Amino acid sequence: MTTVTGETKEVTEAVETTETAGTTEAAEATEAAEIAETAPYGNGVLGQPLDSREDPQLLRGEATYVADINLPGTAHMAILGSPVAHAKILSIDTKAAEQLPGVLKVATAADFTDVMPLPCIWIPGGVESHFPPHPYGLPGARPVLTGDAVRHVGDPIAVVVAETPRQAAAALAAIEVAYEPLPVVTLADEALKEGAPQLHEAVPGNLNAYWTCGDKDRTDAAIAVAEVTVELDLVNQRTINSPIEPRGAVGDYNAATGEYTLYASTQGPHNHRFLLSALVLGIPFNKLRVIAPTVGGSFGTKGYLYPDMALVLLLSKALGRPVKWVDTRTGLMNSTVQGRDHRQHVVLAGTRDGRITAVRATSYANLGAYPSTIGPGVATALMGRSISGMYDIDAAFCEVYAAFTNTVSLGAQRGSGRAEAAFLMERLVDRYASEIGMDPAAVRRKNLVPKEKFPYDNGLGWTYDSGNYQLNFDRAMELSDYAGMPARKAEARARGKRLGVGIASYVAICGVGPSTRMSKEGMLGGTWESANIRVHPTGEVTVTVGSASTGQSHGTVFAQVAADELGIDPAQVQVYEGDTLKAPYGQGTYGSRSYSMAAPAVALTARKLKAKLVKAGAVFLGVPEDKVVYEGGKVHEDGNPENTKTFAELAMAMWYGWGLPPEIEPALDETTHFDPPDFNYPFGTHVAVVEIDELTGETEVVAYTAVDDAGNIGNPKVVLGQIEGSIMHGLGQALMEHAVYDENGLLESSDLTRYALPRAFDAPFFTLGKTTTPSPHNPLGAKGAGEIATVPPAAAVVNAVVDALSDLGVQHIDMPVTPEKVWRRLRGEAQ
Amino acid sequence: MDLTLNVNGRPEKFAAAPNELLVERLRDGLGLTGTKVGCDTGQCGSCVVRLDDKSVKSCLVLTVAAAGSEVTTIEGITTTGGELTGLQEALRQEHGTQCGFCTPGMVMALGELVEATADGEAPTEPEIREWLTGNLCRCTGYHSVVRGVQRACAASRAEAPADSAASTAVAQEV
Repeated sequence: MTTVTGETKEVTEAVETTETAGTTEAAEATEAAEIAETAPYGNGVLGQPLDSREDPQLLRGEATYVADINLPGTAHMAILGSPVAHAKILSIDTKAAEQLPGVLKVATAADFTDVMPLPCIWIPGGVESHFPPHPYGLPGARPVLTGDAVRHVGDPIAVVVAETPRQAAAALAAIEVAYEPLPVVTLADEALKEGAPQLHEAVPGNLNAYWTCGDKDRTDAAIAVAEVTVELDLVNQRTINSPIEPRGAVGDYNAATGEYTLYASTQGPHNHRFLLSALVLGIPFNKLRVIAPTVGGSFGTKGYLYPDMALVLLLSKALGRPVKWVDTRTGLMNSTVQGRDHRQHVVLAGTRDGRITAVRATSYANLGAYPSTIGPGVATALMGRSISGMYDIDAAFCEVYAAFTNTVSLGAQRGSGRAEAAFLMERLVDRYASEIGMDPAAVRRKNLVPKEKFPYDNGLGWTYDSGNYQLNFDRAMELSDYAGMPARKAEARARGKRLGVGIASYVAICGVGPSTRMSKEGMLGGTWESANIRVHPTGEVTVTVGSASTGQSHGTVFAQVAADELGIDPAQVQVYEGDTLKAPYGQGTYGSRSYSMAAPAVALTARKLKAKLVKAGAVFLGVPEDKVVYEGGKVHEDGNPENTKTFAELAMAMWYGWGLPPEIEPALDETTHFDPPDFNYPFGTHVAVVEIDELTGETEVVAYTAVDDAGNIGNPKVVLGQIEGSIMHGLGQALMEHAVYDENGLLESSDLTRYALPRAFDAPFFTLGKTTTPSPHNPLGAKGAGEIATVPPAAAVVNAVVDALSDLGVQHIDMPVTPEKVWRRLRGEAQ
Repeated sequence: MDLTLNVNGRPEKFAAAPNELLVERLRDGLGLTGTKVGCDTGQCGSCVVRLDDKSVKSCLVLTVAAAGSEVTTIEGITTTGGELTGLQEALRQEHGTQCGFCTPGMVMALGELVEATADGEAPTEPEIREWLTGNLCRCTGYHSVVRGVQRACAASRAEAPADSAASTAVAQEV
């Protein structure tokens, strides 16, 4: 195993994306020059910015997404979602719909009485929690179709299967449902009040769980005696993930074999196979095959179990034909899990000279109408244990009230939990800096966890693995020209603009995870990852992983890992994933885990193969094992490079298996299941510079600097794209995204004309730098990367906006920071 | 009604309902699934195709309204040999795609911009971003796409006079 020192290396040149393509090339060259240091073994192909091998197919429009799958004889399903947020269902009349042209079947809850509800598998850990029941004693989530009541707009009531999608959609309008309206609640804190509308019989007062972490008494005591305390009431607004591909599912039941096949836009096909077969349909595990075709983005949403996945399978069996369902955008917005949605009261205590002594957060988390597959865990642990961020704070405490309301179920959104935590902490730090009259950068620098304290117990449940926060922070200040901001402010003022600068630092737990640790966190299932490598007789290699890409270039990066370990050309390596019939078990792609969970499984498997080749090499070279050197994809006799076998020769020899002693099995085919000793903790510092137009209140992000530390990176080009996309996602929450429910529980922002997503002109090129602190918790020294840069932008932008308005006495402004909100504050109106 | 549409250089004759969308004809009727559907309101741009050379959102065009027109989809600019056009190659080098779902629409929309560059001014960064207004991407944050367009425009301008292969690659997008 490679020795991982935990030392942070500073890059000599930042990846400047502020200029043209030419500048980017120069930056790539700089990164490539680092490889010798970061990859001490193999042929150095790991860490290189190879072009993504997935790209040509995507650019040519030849990738197959679930909506592109058209099996012979396919019938089309449409789902009737509730038009009201809360009501008893008095009756459902499907007769008229059944008579319409092309309609093959109309089904309601009454047709699926033997189907179990979708379970919830991540419950708030270590505390009493309340859920709708599941027959196996698990926390239940939701029925595949609701029969007694509807609990949010879009709650599925009935389905139609017809010959064409249009016929199915048309028939929905002919289904008559009689409702008895019930009062509606859409906010978590409101749902917990006495007399609030009640959603589930089994959940008194709508309280799923009261969950805490940290030391309450110590924190309260520190706050009571503090020289300075600052408090904020924050709304981390509900957002909609909005992958550009809406979800879809195709079910295909084979009556001859009794086997079901599900094609679905899923980021975790093995998980979906287990949950659907064992806990929903009650069929043997080996009768269900789940295939993830190319998936068009996910950002957390497509790892969840949804009613449609079960419905297409059940209806395919009922009709003897493949059944296909593809969501619409409005359908997605009323059915696919949504993100964030915490209402919080937060307190920070410190000394007059800038030392933070305590932080406390009280959060009301809105789980929506039903617990999603892992929503309750996201809303508690991922957020609560992360609130102290990069800072060394003596006392910290977080309490979360997780509540059910008449809204779409809550799930993960890129950076989930950690983004909410960073937002509250980084807003508090700025508020504190302002209160004591200190520069926000100076306050941060004074409180960073010192390098020598790693591994660092943050007192909330996380043990940070490695880091050099000072180096990272200083690099961000330098790259953003933080020292030059006063001059820029004056220059902007002369143009009639208010310039503000905002810093946000973060630590983002990734690499879920150690299975035993996750079980204590309330996860009902293992969270390891696996890989198989098969070396073919002619020396080509197939890597098969349990993970499943939703745009992360797994085929490129995992090939680099295997090629680097084996010392072969990555072009020889092919990567497969996404089909449960072919791939080893795995939990999927979420929480930025693939490169620190699946890639280590690939590396460890390659090492097993190398070890085997050394043993076999001794036989083929006719020398003792300790004289065999594996190097550059070959074995040779130590001190006699002429006595050698190439990788292809070895592969063929192992395929034949001639002359092997009994203790060496023929063939080269190994599998590894990787369960790390602990999580990994990437971190970083971002700096946003905004300009506010005095007349219109418009906020423009004019510069954005990010210095992230994702440990050792497998492919800088892939990670660069993920960092850029993640920042833009975070800017979206800061400036424009908001899932707005009206008082009747109707989602007003239910299509893309009313739910704003960032477009190309919404930000300039970013200035990106990095530091590199390997994680000691996996053999690659990898940390999560895919979503980490979504964690701080909302805080950085709001800090910048507040900075720009600080002379008006503005201490906070809620997201999204719309022109109207800013315009009102410019005119002295209160929040 | 019966109508004819020239799709990727081939005349297609069929009967279309008056409310059929062009994207439905392309995907469901003609099996050209490279064109994607990401929204219901003409916002996302995943369905962009070329209609008589102009890039349009095919979810906002009725099939009957396109009768007699030339339609070019992403399949129409790809070659059987697997080579990429100049724009596609530039986007590949800049990793201007991740999940790829918005990508065919982006390629079709940007092709028009890159072609105009070959004998005109190279677009500025703000102009490229403005041109991309009609295409949503959630993975890349757009920067790699913008860099890809800059690279494609530079290549197209630098190589157009001397290197016919490059201009051919761009021309294939018509």
